[in-house]
Amino acid sequence: MQSREPILEIDALSVSFETPDGVINAVNDFTLSVHAGECIGVVGESGAGKSQSFLAVMGLLASNATVRGSARLQGRELIGLRGRELNELRGVKLSMIFQDPMTSLTPHIEVGEQIAESLIRHHGTSSAAARARALELLRQVHVSDAERRLDQYPHELSGGMRQRVMIAVALACDPLMLIADEPTTALDVTIQAQILQLLAELKRGKGMAMTLITHDLGVVAGVADRVAVMYGGRIVELGSVRSVLKAPRHPYTRALLRSMPRVDEPADRPLLAITGQPPNPRRLPPGCAFHPRCEHASARCRSERPTLVDGPHSAVACHHPVEGDAR
Amino acid sequence: MSETLLSLRGLRVWFPVGDRLFGPKRQLHAVEGVDLDVRAGEALGIVGESGCGKSTLARAVLQLVRPTSGSVVWMGRPLEGMTAAELRPLRRDLQIVFQDPLASLDPRMTVGEIVAEPLRVHRPGLDRAARRSEVAGMLERVGLSVDVINRYPHEFSGGQCQRIGIARAMILKPKLLICDEPVSALDVSIQAQIINLLKDLQRDFGMTILFVSHNLAVVRRLCDRVLVLYLGRTMELAPTEQLYARPLHPYTRGLLAAVPVPDPDIQPARLGAALEGELPSPLSPPSGCVFRTRCAHAIALCADVAPAFAEADDSARRVACHRWREIEPA
Repeated sequence: MQSREPILEIDALSVSFETPDGVINAVNDFTLSVHAGECIGVVGESGAGKSQSFLAVMGLLASNATVRGSARLQGRELIGLRGRELNELRGVKLSMIFQDPMTSLTPHIEVGEQIAESLIRHHGTSSAAARARALELLRQVHVSDAERRLDQYPHELSGGMRQRVMIAVALACDPLMLIADEPTTALDVTIQAQILQLLAELKRGKGMAMTLITHDLGVVAGVADRVAVMYGGRIVELGSVRSVLKAPRHPYTRALLRSMPRVDEPADRPLLAITGQPPNPRRLPPGCAFHPRCEHASARCRSERPTLVDGPHSAVACHHPVEGDAR
Repeated sequence: MSETLLSLRGLRVWFPVGDRLFGPKRQLHAVEGVDLDVRAGEALGIVGESGCGKSTLARAVLQLVRPTSGSVVWMGRPLEGMTAAELRPLRRDLQIVFQDPLASLDPRMTVGEIVAEPLRVHRPGLDRAARRSEVAGMLERVGLSVDVINRYPHEFSGGQCQRIGIARAMILKPKLLICDEPVSALDVSIQAQIINLLKDLQRDFGMTILFVSHNLAVVRRLCDRVLVLYLGRTMELAPTEQLYARPLHPYTRGLLAAVPVPDPDIQPARLGAALEGELPSPLSPPSGCVFRTRCAHAIALCADVAPAFAEADDSARRVACHRWREIEPA
């Protein structure tokens, strides 16, 4: 998988926001590559910077944002692109789906037309052919009764069905890469499982590169090949899904796993809560942003920020990485 | 076996839905015939997906929505037909913690005023100093320092707001604490703090907990027994470890399999076993067993006859399925 050039190559990306109360550094020094057929899970809590990094890649940040660094799609720089150049890529080579399908779909346009729209606009497909392709896409994302759905409006569909439609819209032009930002967070758990299964199937079948942004380590376990754990606007651990979840080296990743109740585990293991709360991106602690909550923190952690260093199984940004099994 | 604190018998909550301007009013059956005995001192989980009636059930217990029929019996006293004034003294023993911690706190009141309010209503004889000391004690008990008393809710994080909400609910030492998705809005690293706090409070105060949640992993941690609802109907009731180790109802099995676990050796296979189909419209639920449209084991009988919520194995478990004996995996 690593042999060819990456589809998306993000290098030292930083995102900051100018606000009346000062500058917020939402993302710092974010470096990550995604290859064809690979799914990267990006995990973190609210404010960790996981969505902002990829909104920057998509050119979708708020107007008070400043972006530094680089993000290249098959070698082509995305940061700084505007207007038409950006629109030629977005939804065509690079697609994104969001948590709330209701606000991402246009309420007054039929589902079939929303899927066909980008085909007609970007590929010059005839409207009859685009409609046929829309039907095919709806079937591919397992929308039941697909023919009838083509002429329905988003409000006539269930939440799970809307998310499938949004995925169909995103896939219409056969993108090189799909960015899914908390795509199942608003869904019931049985529907979440169906959508995750669909994403896994699309990754395998289409050889697409994929990023799955989520707060749930269980969600990445089923779909992702590699995982980036974010904290305080930085990647603190990056490695294969197996090494990050089975033998996490960053104290934050490990603490998060230990604090999560698991449905397949009796209550006899004590639930080890992480004290304190995620940092405010307005006032990040000096040194390692996790040090106020870390049981391994030393004087060095309070003053010197650790950089992401490659290790045997994963890269980790920690002065005192831990070894051994997750429990 | 300990005494029954709360009994529900044939509880129904219907909501009128007028979806067409001049069309006939239809009834949405949010809770449809629930029988349940809650024992003193237990933590009972009520689980299911959106629209299963779990929150409505909790609100009906508190009479925040009035049941359409059936009865809610609290410590031997039926609550239906009671006026608001008659209910008020009982509310001292029935408290609730909501999902959205900030929205459930009055933004214009200080933390001290919020936590003291139930004392003002239910123990008006308490003087200022005594009230303050009760409030301070409870704030400390839920893990907040006393100096938060004069601050306002917006100054706090979600987890801290939830602690304030718990302090307000616990200040009267209620017999029953209803928790409606109390950790769902919180960051993952904060959830465990609140789960552990609720467990500690129950150990210390011995109150009964009705824990309404869609999060089956959290329920396994906190509850002694679990009730599974689907489209307003009871599917299964069992002691927690029995339910998780050996779910009898096909819906319970599908629901448990759908919860993601952070283990790449297990999780892909779990996704493969996902329940198919979607929740039917609660306005036109399927005939017979309401789960049959998503059930891989459904037969003609399931469409014709709604299964009884009957004892399974021993008196500790109940299940509403015609076929649970035949379909149990080896």
